[in-house]
Amino acid sequence: MREQHLSDEAVAAFADDVLRGHARERASRHTARCAECKHAVAVQREAVWALRSAPAPALPSGLLDRLRDVPSTTPIRAVPTSFAADGSAMFATFGSLGAAALAPDVGADEARDDNSERAKGMRPFAMTAAALAMASALGVGGVSYLSVDHKAGTPAPAHTRPAPNDPHIRLAHQLERVRTR
Amino acid sequence: MTANTGVWVPPTWDEVVREHADRVYRLAYRLSGNRADAEDLTQETFVRVFRSLAEYTPGTFEGWLHRITTNLFLDMVRRRQRIRFDALPEDAGDRLPSRESGPEQTYEQMNLDPEIQRALDDLPADFRVAVVLCDLEQLSYEEIAATLGVKVGTVRSRIHRGRVLLRQALAHRAPGLRPAEPGSTRVESERAPA
Repeated sequence: MREQHLSDEAVAAFADDVLRGHARERASRHTARCAECKHAVAVQREAVWALRSAPAPALPSGLLDRLRDVPSTTPIRAVPTSFAADGSAMFATFGSLGAAALAPDVGADEARDDNSERAKGMRPFAMTAAALAMASALGVGGVSYLSVDHKAGTPAPAHTRPAPNDPHIRLAHQLERVRTR
Repeated sequence: MTANTGVWVPPTWDEVVREHADRVYRLAYRLSGNRADAEDLTQETFVRVFRSLAEYTPGTFEGWLHRITTNLFLDMVRRRQRIRFDALPEDAGDRLPSRESGPEQTYEQMNLDPEIQRALDDLPADFRVAVVLCDLEQLSYEEIAATLGVKVGTVRSRIHRGRVLLRQALAHRAPGLRPAEPGSTRVESERAPA
């Protein structure tokens, strides 16, 4: 009786060297005897090699500028609670308020259309939305104030008192990992 | 209050952009195959990130970006397919890549090898996403399954089929393709001689 050929899934996984234990041994044994499956594995590896030999596309510089401008070109609904001495807006955010202040991911475009007048009115404050989002990440119950000097692009957390057991604190750690990497 | 007092200082938007823009654009370009769509996808990804940063739930930041970019791309494809065909044929994956779809498409000279990008573009979107996430972004099968909301077996099968089609499309380049060595692992076969 002929031994069964490797399944497509097994061929891909064996080519990627991610099969373990018995499955790996079987694939190894089978490809040593079966030219067809051995070829199938080679095809997988050749495709990977071809793909990786292609150079990565470079980020257009104009796009980088537009991405940097996202905070000032993306309207959100938020009301500053006070103004710092230098005139920058400061927000007091609580977890839920911070989340509610941001247009939800789905339907955001509709929200922007529906509230275009309002969004326009809010635009002067939109620049602080990144700070707002990050401030709210610091805590339900913990009050966070952030001020933003948009021109310098350096939001400075003026006063932060994160609540200790807030799940959103983990975001802070995630972002910190991003920051320090 | 400064960083050295142990108080966490959130990254600035500028830092988030600088840290991730390259990777998001690269993924967007490889998925969409052209600069205009890649720029739109990248911009929209960052707009989504900006709007929903407060709602972000733990996981890796990169994984989140991958998910947003990939889903925006798939939305774009579905939208265009609805316009063109009304529905995606069930056997889309069994069709051979069409060389005819190429001529009117333009490719950026300075970017991906045009032939490889074209072969990638000819893959059905679901296969292309799986192959790009696996082979170029180097996500694990499990990460891809989570990103796409499908089973790991489905991911493996799409990767397998996508690579087969890709290899067929590049068949004429065979002499330039490095043959897989018997018994070599993926890691070994990646190490090109210095």
